Amino acid sequence: MSDKEKRILLWYEELAGSDFPLVGKKNANLGEMLKGGIRTSPGFALTLHANELFITETGIKAELGSFLDSLGEATLEACQEASDAAVKLILEAEVPPVIVDETCAAYQRLCELSNTENVPVAVRSSGAVSMPGQMETYLNIRGESDLIEYVKKTWASAYHVEAITYRLNKGWGFLLNIGVGVPKMVNSRVSGVSFTLNPLNGDRSKIAVDVSYGLGEAVVSGLVTPDNYLVDKVTLNPIRSTKGSKETKCVYNSSGSDCTFVDVPAEDRERFSVTAEELKEICRVSKVIDKYYGKPYDIEFAIDADLPFPDSVIILQVRPESVWSKKAGEGKTEQKKDAMDRIVSQLITGVRIK
Amino acid sequence: MTDKFMSPHDVPAIPGTEGWERLYPYHYQFSKDDPDRAAFEESQLWFYDGLHYPEPHYPFDLIWDEAWFLALSQNNTRTFLMPPALGIDHRIVNGHVYITPVGVADPEEVGRRVPTFMKRAGYYYENWDRLYEDWKVKVNGLLGELEAVKFEALPEVEDETLVFENRGIGSGYELLAKYDELINMGLKVWQYHFEFLNLGYAAYVTFINTANTIFPDIPISTLTRMVSGIDVVMYKPDAELVRLARLAIENGLDQLLEDNKSSAAVMTEMANTTAGKYWLDELEKARYPWFHISTGTGWYHHHSSWNDDLDVPFASIVMHIEAIKAGKQVGRPTEKLIEEREALIEEYRSLIGTDADREAFDQVLAVAQRVFPYVEDHLFYVEHWFHSIFWNKVRELSDVLVGAGFFKDREDIWLLKRGEIRDALWDHVTSWATGTIARGPSYWQKEIDWRKGIMEKFQAWSPPPALGTPPDVVTEPFSIVLWGVTTSVLKNWLKGVEAATGTGVEELMGAPGSSGIVEGRARVIKSAKELGSLLEGEILVATTTSPSWAPAFTKIAGAVTDVGGAMCHAAIVCREYGLPTVVGTGRGTTTIKTGDLVRIDGDAGSVTILERA
Repeated sequence: MSDKEKRILLWYEELAGSDFPLVGKKNANLGEMLKGGIRTSPGFALTLHANELFITETGIKAELGSFLDSLGEATLEACQEASDAAVKLILEAEVPPVIVDETCAAYQRLCELSNTENVPVAVRSSGAVSMPGQMETYLNIRGESDLIEYVKKTWASAYHVEAITYRLNKGWGFLLNIGVGVPKMVNSRVSGVSFTLNPLNGDRSKIAVDVSYGLGEAVVSGLVTPDNYLVDKVTLNPIRSTKGSKETKCVYNSSGSDCTFVDVPAEDRERFSVTAEELKEICRVSKVIDKYYGKPYDIEFAIDADLPFPDSVIILQVRPESVWSKKAGEGKTEQKKDAMDRIVSQLITGVRIK
Repeated sequence: MTDKFMSPHDVPAIPGTEGWERLYPYHYQFSKDDPDRAAFEESQLWFYDGLHYPEPHYPFDLIWDEAWFLALSQNNTRTFLMPPALGIDHRIVNGHVYITPVGVADPEEVGRRVPTFMKRAGYYYENWDRLYEDWKVKVNGLLGELEAVKFEALPEVEDETLVFENRGIGSGYELLAKYDELINMGLKVWQYHFEFLNLGYAAYVTFINTANTIFPDIPISTLTRMVSGIDVVMYKPDAELVRLARLAIENGLDQLLEDNKSSAAVMTEMANTTAGKYWLDELEKARYPWFHISTGTGWYHHHSSWNDDLDVPFASIVMHIEAIKAGKQVGRPTEKLIEEREALIEEYRSLIGTDADREAFDQVLAVAQRVFPYVEDHLFYVEHWFHSIFWNKVRELSDVLVGAGFFKDREDIWLLKRGEIRDALWDHVTSWATGTIARGPSYWQKEIDWRKGIMEKFQAWSPPPALGTPPDVVTEPFSIVLWGVTTSVLKNWLKGVEAATGTGVEELMGAPGSSGIVEGRARVIKSAKELGSLLEGEILVATTTSPSWAPAFTKIAGAVTDVGGAMCHAAIVCREYGLPTVVGTGRGTTTIKTGDLVRIDGDAGSVTILERA
């Protein structure tokens, strides 16, 4: 067993994609993005080993393993009964001090990084095998004791009835250790979308950026006119900057689970929502993503108000650009014999420079 | 918004300058005498050629304007048959030159011009490097002839060799002939100047537009970086100053230079030591030809060269010494520039979608790179080297006329048209020949005093950026590349026309010269002599800049010019120094005052006055 495998907790920046058996896929992917220079919200992962330690140290492992066997045929009712018992067992068990200490220390470091006491975090399940949507993610968790409580809830979510039936259908075992991700909740001062091509004409030498105040919801759903930039992908210099009206912004309500719209003050509306260096950083990272995947991408990002620049520029989600990528292969210049032919045709048609 | 500039026929005369027209050739006047010519004048867009002429013209100095008026126009219209473009027409108003590109109106005629153009221009493009070498030989020959011209006072009695060598030609005739030769050389060097230039711009514009088809909105400043030469003659003079600065430090002479004495005093002290003598030898090597560089654009007689006033290069050497000692980068980082250029080209090429587009890009890039050394270097040979020597030859001639009592001062000669100088010389040689009294002294001194008054009034006048009717789109390649006149720039000039009558402009628009955004205090500089007043981090505001201003670029945070496009000197240099720059604002030097806090956006091409001094 290597040193890494004995760890209870690993920071995202310590992880690579190949570490998914240790921390789960979601966590490992975040580490892989960081390695590629794609910055995500800072945080750490509790390992599958931590989960194993929890069930062995507390002595609940044997009992947990025996639930299903005692039920006989795996009917939905039987699964539900096993799930209830397993969740209860986990939630009532006390997390061993070694795990609590390390988790709380890491959490305190995250608070320091964010310059915020009891910084809100998300607590996210991360399985070593794909089980889409089977387990829980909790948002806006604050303070050490809540954090530990929700880590337990996340572990317990591996025994939710949907997760159990999914596993049994696949022929996997009843017992399942999972990783838990603890990223800082992004406190989006601004957020937006970037395309690593010009969406109007497919020109791959440009990056288009839409950005406005608050959570990305306002920009993505088209509820505000954001600031819009066209940036040269090679030099990262802006070519056009258009100020948007940015009337409202979307902010989390107090529970953190939903958001509401509030008005943007006039003085914020009248200026650009990001600085020149923030814009450049957004585009730099967008270009890294484009290069990493070797094709144009559609990227959601945010700038976190709690973090110092450039750590504040955070990538939330990426997906391949779909419209222009399908049209690749169409030329833009006319067929000409040689340079001379081009010069003559240029002189005849004249020059129209905007 | 106003859609027209002031009619060229309605420009008000400046009170007290009545009769100014006789300072310039009659055909340079806007006139309503001929209704057809007047209608043509009315229908064209005339823009003030402040790129070349930030100041009004002394009558003699118009020689270069006449020279390029002929050379460029004849080349387009009659020699290469540039398909859509004829020449560029010229006029003068209140001492300021306005120009207008003239196109071929009939599309069929454009087509008929194509085969000849293909054949003739094709020959030049194919043999460019060899023909350019020939060009240098021709121009160097002409420079040698120019150096050899000498003007001396007429002798009381002709030398006896005239008789015993039966030469048969008298000094009076020779003086007239030498003057004609001098003028002809000046006109000839401008014929050479345009031998390649229009073809160079045509190739460059083709590159810009092909690249714009593939990468819409790619900044011209980026494209210029792809074709810019590395070993550019125009940067040699500054490189020589850097070399002399380093030599001074290595030989312990830096303190002597930094003591800020006059160049003459420094040189006298240098001559006392071995190290000093060595440095002076190296200085001499640098001076010819590199110190023929003008401190201005070379277009005016008062743009002295470094050789005329060694205090100027010495001050720049001191700036370089200080920068080197402070550990700053001086001169051009050649290797870095090559690397950056290649990386830039490669990255854009990799973003081209199809092989056909990549081939088109490669074709036009190759030809643009081939023509570019000429486009960048010809300035040094003609506007700097030739002009600097030429002005001094005219001064030598002026001394002859001062001796004959025609002028009070050698600088008076600039107030005469070149034809009038020939008339004055006839007056002088015939009265000398006859042994009578010339009319010149009584005629010219009075006229010169009057003309000096006119020039002062012209100096105080702010020429509007344009006159006449703007076209819907600007399609003439040279006006775009060189003067930065595009549709959007014209719109902004028109805004300026409105604002000038309002409460003052707080934002100026020009063309992006070099990217980046910066804020700083403005320093409005009218001539190279004022460069010493620049403070670290200031924004340089000038009508236009000259390559000899290079040392100043290590100090400033950005630059704004009244005239110029992406290819103008200020834009090129600022890109190399990474300084945000806006060119072609039309009214930067008249709107911005020294001490104003300004923000320049070199990407948007805007200048905002944040706070008045």
